[in-house]
Amino acid sequence: MTDYSYFPGCSLASSAMEYDASFRLVSEVFGIGLDELEDWTCCGASPAPHHWGGELGILLPARNLHIAGRSHPAVVAPCAGCYNRLKYAQYELRRNQQLRERVAQVLREPVRYETEVVNLIEMFNREIDPAALAARAQGRLEEISLATYYGCVLTRPAEIVNFDDPNDPVMMEPLLRAAGATITHFPFKSECCGSYMGLAKKEIVFRASRQIIETALESGADAIVTVCPLCHQNLDLRQRQINFAWDTDFELPVLYFSQVIGLALGASPEELGIDSHAVSADKLLVKIKKTANR
Amino acid sequence: MINLSRSVSAGAPIISEIERRSGQQISACYQCGRCTSTCAGSFAFDYSPHRLMRLLQFGMVEEVLRSRTAQLCLDCMTCSLRCPMSIDVAAVIDTAKAIADEMGFKDTERDLRLFRRGFLKNVRRHGRLHEAGLLSWFNIRTRKFTNDLSLVPLLMRKKKIHVVPPRIRNKHEMRRIFREINGAGKPR
Repeated sequence: MTDYSYFPGCSLASSAMEYDASFRLVSEVFGIGLDELEDWTCCGASPAPHHWGGELGILLPARNLHIAGRSHPAVVAPCAGCYNRLKYAQYELRRNQQLRERVAQVLREPVRYETEVVNLIEMFNREIDPAALAARAQGRLEEISLATYYGCVLTRPAEIVNFDDPNDPVMMEPLLRAAGATITHFPFKSECCGSYMGLAKKEIVFRASRQIIETALESGADAIVTVCPLCHQNLDLRQRQINFAWDTDFELPVLYFSQVIGLALGASPEELGIDSHAVSADKLLVKIKKTANR
Repeated sequence: MINLSRSVSAGAPIISEIERRSGQQISACYQCGRCTSTCAGSFAFDYSPHRLMRLLQFGMVEEVLRSRTAQLCLDCMTCSLRCPMSIDVAAVIDTAKAIADEMGFKDTERDLRLFRRGFLKNVRRHGRLHEAGLLSWFNIRTRKFTNDLSLVPLLMRKKKIHVVPPRIRNKHEMRRIFREINGAGKPR
């Protein structure tokens, strides 16, 4: 098993701490070493690329990529936003000599930018053998149907991130199926949830996320599975606001991919932080088969 | 309504600038409207994505720079993915947003601009986003004091937001990055 540099990003250190906890738990079970980047900073998220001609949108992720270059050959960024920003910086640095010089001037060192950047799905697919997962899962998820939700920035723009099919992403499926789960037909898997508009322009999130929840329910899913903390915030934390805005009564749990894998391994909902979500997952949790040992 | 009497020539330099920075050819759009039909935000826009492209084709730059569309685009890139001419529509809109900022068109969607600015100020100060700080700063600045307050009890109970901001060791480097970019080191 390989060791990875780990870039948690702001969300995993705070409002998405259950994502961090479940990611670490699953990694440990499969013997994947994670070295958290020393003194990492914000990746720039959505606001940085849109200011000052976009330079900040390169410099912030480039600094983190540069730190990652000190240790392991690959850095894992579970947050879809962070992953996208790191890939974007790397893409631009690779093809633009002037930019490399500019970044080096600000960082006061030649910039290291060739560390491989992987997202959580990519890393799990690489390091976890589906057969090994199936053996440990003992069919725990056999009663559970899941809508796999990928969102926008994990697969787009395809020429930069170069991950999965941007029209019909499927990379979560092998491990979830190995764990016994059924994947529903979910046409909204790569639609936008409303992004960072939650604080300043709620109606966009309310409409976009409502459609995602509604379509997932129609598909027969017991839960939505995501890898993006911002999507999670819009779909889970704001689900009650959405219900209030539209007079609906959705109660659809939204779980991180790593939490679902954790459940398959027999970890408790508390260890995986599922009890920290706004929407209760109790109806899903009772469907998890009680099997002997972990 | 499109006013043909004041079109094309006046906007030409800015349109070339949008094309240069985004790497897209605006005349390639043939108005099929697929971008609009896939857009998650267009219901809140003043010009739907294909209409915005049309405005640019007609040289009507000011409408574009003042548009809510340029501010509200979610940059989800679905339009770019689906465009039959492979135009990166999201990049065109994003470039228009950047140019609108640079040229001082600051009246549309002020709250959203404030949010983006507040986000960067927050990151500049702490190195990482301090979510509780951003929420309270934004609510005070916009005088929407109860905005999202209903979410706070759960987040506090589960220790998912923190009163004390995060700390990084190399704060100086963070400040320097911001300073080098815009001279003053303060988000506009």
